[in-house]
Amino acid sequence: MKMRKSLACCLTVAAAVSLLAGCSSAGGSASGSDEQVVIYSNADDEALTAIKNALDSNGYEGKYIVQGFGTSELGGKLLAEGKNLEADLVTMSTFYLQSAQDANSMFLPLDFEVKTLEEFPDYCAPITSQEGAILLNTELMEQEGLPRPASIKDLASPVYEGQLAVTDIQSSSTAWLLIQALADAYGEDGAEKILADIYKNAGDHIETSGSGPLKLCRAGEVAIGFGLRHQAVADKADGLPIDFVDPTEGNFSLTESVAVLDKGGKTNPLAMDMAQCIIENSRKELQQTYPNPLYKGESSDSANKSAYPKTFPEPLTFELFQKHQQLSEDAKQ
Amino acid sequence: MDTRKNIELKIIFWTIAAVFSLFLALPLLVLLGRSFVGDQGVTLEFYRSVIADRKFLPALGNSFLVAAAAALAATVIAFVLAYMIHYTNAPLWLKQAVRAAAMLPMFLPTITYGFAIIYSFGKQGLITRLLGTQLFDLYGFMGLMTGYVIYTVPVAFLLIHNTMGYIDKKTLVVSKVMGDGTFSTFWIAVVRPLLGTLAGAFIQAFFLSFTDFGIPASVGGSYDVVAAILYNKMIGGIPDFSRGAVVAVIMLIPSIGSICILRILERFNIRYNRISDIDLKKDPARDISWGTAGSVLSILILSIFAVIFVVPMVEEWPYKTGFSLDHIRNAFLDHELLDSYSHSITMAACTALFGTLLAYGAALITARSTLPDRYKRAIDSISLVTNAIPGMVLGVAYMFLFPGTPLQNTLTLMVLCNIVHYFSTPYLMMKNSLSKMNAGWETTAMLMGDSWLKTIIRVVTPNALSSLLEVFSYYFINAMVTISALVFIAGARTMVLTTKIKQLQYINKFNEVFVLSLLILITNLIAKALFSLLAKKLAEKKK
Repeated sequence: MKMRKSLACCLTVAAAVSLLAGCSSAGGSASGSDEQVVIYSNADDEALTAIKNALDSNGYEGKYIVQGFGTSELGGKLLAEGKNLEADLVTMSTFYLQSAQDANSMFLPLDFEVKTLEEFPDYCAPITSQEGAILLNTELMEQEGLPRPASIKDLASPVYEGQLAVTDIQSSSTAWLLIQALADAYGEDGAEKILADIYKNAGDHIETSGSGPLKLCRAGEVAIGFGLRHQAVADKADGLPIDFVDPTEGNFSLTESVAVLDKGGKTNPLAMDMAQCIIENSRKELQQTYPNPLYKGESSDSANKSAYPKTFPEPLTFELFQKHQQLSEDAKQ
Repeated sequence: MDTRKNIELKIIFWTIAAVFSLFLALPLLVLLGRSFVGDQGVTLEFYRSVIADRKFLPALGNSFLVAAAAALAATVIAFVLAYMIHYTNAPLWLKQAVRAAAMLPMFLPTITYGFAIIYSFGKQGLITRLLGTQLFDLYGFMGLMTGYVIYTVPVAFLLIHNTMGYIDKKTLVVSKVMGDGTFSTFWIAVVRPLLGTLAGAFIQAFFLSFTDFGIPASVGGSYDVVAAILYNKMIGGIPDFSRGAVVAVIMLIPSIGSICILRILERFNIRYNRISDIDLKKDPARDISWGTAGSVLSILILSIFAVIFVVPMVEEWPYKTGFSLDHIRNAFLDHELLDSYSHSITMAACTALFGTLLAYGAALITARSTLPDRYKRAIDSISLVTNAIPGMVLGVAYMFLFPGTPLQNTLTLMVLCNIVHYFSTPYLMMKNSLSKMNAGWETTAMLMGDSWLKTIIRVVTPNALSSLLEVFSYYFINAMVTISALVFIAGARTMVLTTKIKQLQYINKFNEVFVLSLLILITNLIAKALFSLLAKKLAEKKK
């Protein structure tokens, strides 16, 4: 009895203390100039490392914390929380930033010069350009005696039935890279027809997550997938039986950008400086993984550059994304 | 004296009511608002367009079918396992092994289930390789069934196992003496007193399956389920919170049906004045047959998870199968890991402590009080609603409500979210065990001059101790593995292990995902062992 009581006491006190500690450590996040800058990012590991290296070597070490998210979770948070977001700085797919800005006017115009090759809104500056490519599991390709595809259109051929995984544009923006390529090369009607056959081949493997196809290729579930090029490059370099094909329709790309939260009087002044530091100092390292040039004076002579880099003729807006979502739904019917 | 007792119970009731109003009702109302209010004011357009979507109703039907099938299978499996433990003379080690196997899936984050199934039954899977052939078509109904059954067996088992401990086994003898046949003895002495719990277990399992979107994302194939639609709407390519809210609201409707079913089955609950442990008579045939059934089911469960222990230890499953500790080393190189780990433990401990108190208080009201029925009904309804809410919906609703308040991104909010999200099973466990105890204790004690509180502390609590500890560990373990709601409310300074796992999964570092999952598993096993030790110590003290 005594033991139980003292135990209960201890537990209660311990819990109460830890709970309070939890509150105060997390509750103290109201920004001041000496506060750490909170960075939310949907970027891959390589990109995060480049960002951290740029910040650390320019005197910001220990002055920020980075929190990674999946694109959908961070997208949801941006739209729902708006200016109340914990983060002072975000890096995120550019068209998501655009929709969040449209809905919540939550970002500050950047106060430094951004010399991009293409035009970007004044509140964001691109950090990476992520390309799409066809992924292959070389062992399965050989085992099943499948011909190596050269284009996305080839994936519509019935020989690949049951051996293909793609992503669903309803839930993942990676799929947009594939649909852009089809719409650009064959027009919307042509794209819809090809897409319908691709979906038929993919069957059970129209994945919700952008990482789904590579996951299935790695697990040996399918021989062919469509996904982010740099991830396949990394797997191949690791010695996995993974290879990639740059489709002749083009390696289309999506950019991810940095933006600074507008929190009124509570805006962390360091956030803007860090955004500038990231843009000015991380591009060299980033281009090793994401070779496409984004700024004036950059070239793409990296060993990892794709065969057919291409950009969609229209700006990649949220509205275009919705239009292509509809195209994809029509192709499923 | 009676009025005094009710004052204490009413305080408990209103505390519970306050917690659930703020952290369940209010967020849900905000969400409900979203489903009706568009840019041009109040509208039914969102409902119309969701229901008109040609995929929606078939997906809803699929969800019902696969969730019900999985829940039925899980309940039967859990019953067999629990029966073997309580009603046979199978060796103790076997009983302990079966118990451990039945609980194992609960100790791992659900993210690992999809992997476990693909890496076990897929084309290059461990089991496929061992057998030389693929057992079944992985994607679609069968994959979902497998995933859901594994996911829900622990909960069904916990509920049934817990209640069986409070059933008087003398009825077995009595029934035999009365000359009942084997089957009717089985019905009268075992199944009938369990009906309420069996239905409870089925309903829990049903809603867990109905609302989960992680398993469909991995192995759903082209078999559409409504939870996947919810995911796509809420946080898909374009977050559409209004239509997402519509789907969430529609998904809540079946919980109303479940409230009715449980109400009807309540009549079957039986109270025992005394729980007597009789020696079961010798019956090797019974022991061998149930023992075999229990072993086979346990081995099946373990075999699916075996791969989780293999993957982190090899270079790159399934293509480079040399032994390697690189993934484990890499995962532990992350210097933020220690922070996340301590956040996880703190959060789980707080969730367990306060959650257990809340569930206990709620169960005291419904199972051992003379408060009017409307109070009891309110609590039962709360429990069923919490059960039918997908964690993601709770997380998204919190995201609308709490940003800008001091609670944003705090561990406190995460603890509250867990307590609300997982309330149902602990409450049912407590209620089942409390309602099986002699109803006269409080009256007797009060006639002897003890206050209500004293009676609860001196008489009821010691007798409910094993259930309280079960509930404590249930909350702890679930707080350690949960993710769907937390991913929206955790902040950069309150990251926990599972949000880290989510991040690793997103960047394709699956091996590290497995390493962290194993870390969670080991933590949970240690915690569970500590709780069992504690239970034993306390039981000894009592004697």
